[in-house]
Amino acid sequence: MKNYIFPLAITIAVFITTIVNGADGGGKVFPYPIEQKMLPNGLNVVTVKYDSPGLAAFFIVVRAGSRNEVEPGVTGFAHFFEHMMFRGTEKYPSDKYNEVLKSIGASANANTSLDRTLFHMTGNAEKLETMFEIEADRFQHLKYSEHDFKTEAGAVKGEYTKNNASPYQQLYENLLNTAFDKHTYKHTTMGFFKDIVDMPNQYKYSLEFFKRFYRPEYCTILVVGDVTPEKVNNLAEKYFGMWEKGNYVAKIETEPVQKETRYMHLKNGGIPPYLSLNYKGPAFSDKEIDMPAIDLFCNIVFGENSDLYKKLVIDEQKVRYIGGEGADSRDPNLVSIDASLVNKEDMQYIKDEIVKAIEKVKKEGVDEKKLTDTKLHLKYSFAMRMDNPTTIANSLSSYIWLTGDPESLNRLYALYDKVTVKDIIYVANKYFVPTGLTIATISPDAEGGVK
Amino acid sequence: MNKLLLCLLFAGSLFAQEVIELKQPASNKVVIRLMFKNGSICDPAGKEGLTYSTASMITEGGTKKMSYTEIQDKLYPMAAEYYSSVDKEVTNFTFSVPKDFLNEFYPVLKDIILSPAFDEKDFQRVMLSQQNYVDQVIRASSDEEYSKKALEDLLFRGTNYQHMVQGKSASVKNITLADIKEHYKKYFTRNNLTIGIIGNYTPEFLEQLKKDLNNLPDTHPAIPQPGKANTPNGIVVEIIAKDNAFGSAIFTGEPLSITRADKDFTALMVANSYLGEHRKSYGQLYNKIRETRSMNYGDYSYIEWYNNGGGNMLPSSGYPRMSNYFSLWIRPVQIAKQLKKQYPELADVKLGHAHFALRMAIKTVDDMIKNGITKEEFEATRTFLRSYIKLYPSNTTEQLGYLVDSKYYGQKDFINEADEALAKLTVDDVNNAIKKYWQIDNMFVTIITDKSETEELAKSLKENLPSPMSYSNFVKSGLPKEVLQEDESVANYKLNVKSVTIVNSKDTFK
Repeated sequence: MKNYIFPLAITIAVFITTIVNGADGGGKVFPYPIEQKMLPNGLNVVTVKYDSPGLAAFFIVVRAGSRNEVEPGVTGFAHFFEHMMFRGTEKYPSDKYNEVLKSIGASANANTSLDRTLFHMTGNAEKLETMFEIEADRFQHLKYSEHDFKTEAGAVKGEYTKNNASPYQQLYENLLNTAFDKHTYKHTTMGFFKDIVDMPNQYKYSLEFFKRFYRPEYCTILVVGDVTPEKVNNLAEKYFGMWEKGNYVAKIETEPVQKETRYMHLKNGGIPPYLSLNYKGPAFSDKEIDMPAIDLFCNIVFGENSDLYKKLVIDEQKVRYIGGEGADSRDPNLVSIDASLVNKEDMQYIKDEIVKAIEKVKKEGVDEKKLTDTKLHLKYSFAMRMDNPTTIANSLSSYIWLTGDPESLNRLYALYDKVTVKDIIYVANKYFVPTGLTIATISPDAEGGVK
Repeated sequence: MNKLLLCLLFAGSLFAQEVIELKQPASNKVVIRLMFKNGSICDPAGKEGLTYSTASMITEGGTKKMSYTEIQDKLYPMAAEYYSSVDKEVTNFTFSVPKDFLNEFYPVLKDIILSPAFDEKDFQRVMLSQQNYVDQVIRASSDEEYSKKALEDLLFRGTNYQHMVQGKSASVKNITLADIKEHYKKYFTRNNLTIGIIGNYTPEFLEQLKKDLNNLPDTHPAIPQPGKANTPNGIVVEIIAKDNAFGSAIFTGEPLSITRADKDFTALMVANSYLGEHRKSYGQLYNKIRETRSMNYGDYSYIEWYNNGGGNMLPSSGYPRMSNYFSLWIRPVQIAKQLKKQYPELADVKLGHAHFALRMAIKTVDDMIKNGITKEEFEATRTFLRSYIKLYPSNTTEQLGYLVDSKYYGQKDFINEADEALAKLTVDDVNNAIKKYWQIDNMFVTIITDKSETEELAKSLKENLPSPMSYSNFVKSGLPKEVLQEDESVANYKLNVKSVTIVNSKDTFK
């Protein structure tokens, strides 16, 4: 095994140089220049020129998601509102909007998560102006009837209905409700079912929601592909320049410090026993070392190349899968370690093995070479994925909703480079503690039975 | 993209395998796809799932030189990755590697394909997951995926297309390591292999790859003919009863005699896109069932297999099939138990929305068969498709995948050829194709639903009882007269139902 390590390290070093000295020569992981222009009304416009002849991805990131659902009884509303955005305007009622969208021949849709709502279309770059026009129209002049509003609520309920078939979705919903007390991460993006059933009663609130969040200061336009920044900026000025700025800021409660381990259990004999350990982690940051160190920690300790994976999945074959990761979000969220077990009787053993692996890192740290390899792995994986406008736009959009600035991507990877074994020990001790833990389980038994 | 396609070469070869290559000198990686024409139709009776086990052992096991763990350790810093996917007629192996590591990665790739270890311990691990999939995962994770697989089980009953590629509960238990070794020798040969390569590689590399893969067995495997979908007598419904299902997930299917390789296919693409383009809000099914009536999350139609419809927005490559069917996907609709809980005005409702939704979907197809589509509808849909299909090869791997699949169908490049055919199409071609290939009298239907719903639903379907739509007051109060009138005709629309059976979820895929 050791014979290949040295020459491999050299080759890798050379390759990394070619990656980091990309088109902008700035030593950044993202190899293309990111052009940004802030319009006077607060709308940020981001362009990345990419060699995809005739093709462009057009994204609008709204920095509002289920995190912004602060009032009681309206959980799931950001997602519901994403649906409402397809219900038309005076100029383009929904059938007309669909007609125009169809004529563009784009792959277009939208989705919502904790911190943001994302509207996207990838298609013919020559149709860019049409894309701008129809999106600007609905973002500024959305108009729907109360009947359409009530009708769309049924589709949201249908979405909940199809998701609910998965026990993992049921577990996730209950887990958040158990792990959080005050913060809006307590509910999923879908929302509580009782609120979904009540959605048709919230027409007035929906008008308020649009006024609050569908504003230039909450949004970023991102275009990637066969375009120029000049063209994109001109179109943004032309179609979004007159968009009126808002002033709403949601007061999101801070989650109180958790004091003891929490438990939740789902009785289900139809799927393999499941164990999920969830520690309270930090918010995403491109300045603090905590989250990048946790990302590396999770890869090293719970990833497919980890000692724990080799022991439990490959050698002992007591679990089919194990993995861990921290959720990137604007406010502190969970770092989750999940395992799908072969036998429910091993639940306590697997939990103990996971905790043992964490405790080992707290005392001894991690292997230096493994840390270096993991940093390389993350960079190469990223570089290989960036082969089309949609994936590039998706990747940049994450950093837009997390910090408001796509350059955070480059700053994050620069932070990965700086993470030391000491940093890993630091985050292991700081975050992976029993008082911050929520244990979620699925098994055929009435109780989870894990201590 | 077209510029890149100009570089496309179908290389002549001294070797037996077919080669498809697409050089991209600016790319930072190389992707290799090896397609073996075998698939789950090659599984022996009683050992269904064997091709899947064999492919899994190749990609999730060790080689004669390295254990699985050693391979993973070696590839980890390079971020090289590989996986297999098995469908009814093919097995694909896909490898991706940064260009600078190609030469270092290559010996591992070579051994993975040419010298798998077929180790006993790897076997136990791989089979544990496969057994779990057929026993539990398929029934418990997504009712939508479940209804789709159950539909294929009905449509292709008695043929080599019936079983899931992962096999059945009983058959997976029968698979031994010796079976896998024998299956590998028999069905993974140089004579049923297509090599695909894309990205930044040298001609020397490709020559070496071809030369090495020529060391696969020189036998000619006897690949069975793909089983054809059965045509039922009337509409045959299977209701699968689950504990605690939240809604009714529905799929319908009927045989379709053509594939991408046939000249009428593009005409049917237009018809299908108009009826129910996947995950788009333009289709008739979506418009009537979701947008107007708020019954579920979406409704779509298909004229070929669409892998992982719940997750994919665009159709993925790697699933070419010569045996085909036309299907409708109705995402879960409400059941009576839930409607009663949610709305006081529906406290007396006995039946959920499945029967009405099924009638609505089939009537929509019926109307298309009777009336066709207009010239304007045709033009709009054709314009859409001519642009949209160019998005199918959405990344480097899919670019290669689509070319490899094209070869399977005897085409050079499906996307370009479909575009050319679309350009020449007329509205009459489309309406003739609808009449020729679609019908509504004989089809299979699978419905995954809650136990509380099954008896009423079976009775309603069997006796062709009226199934009035039970709206909440929220929706009902604002519905236009035309919609309510259409509801009336849908509720009383006769379906040619000849058989309805209720099956316990535990008894499926045995």
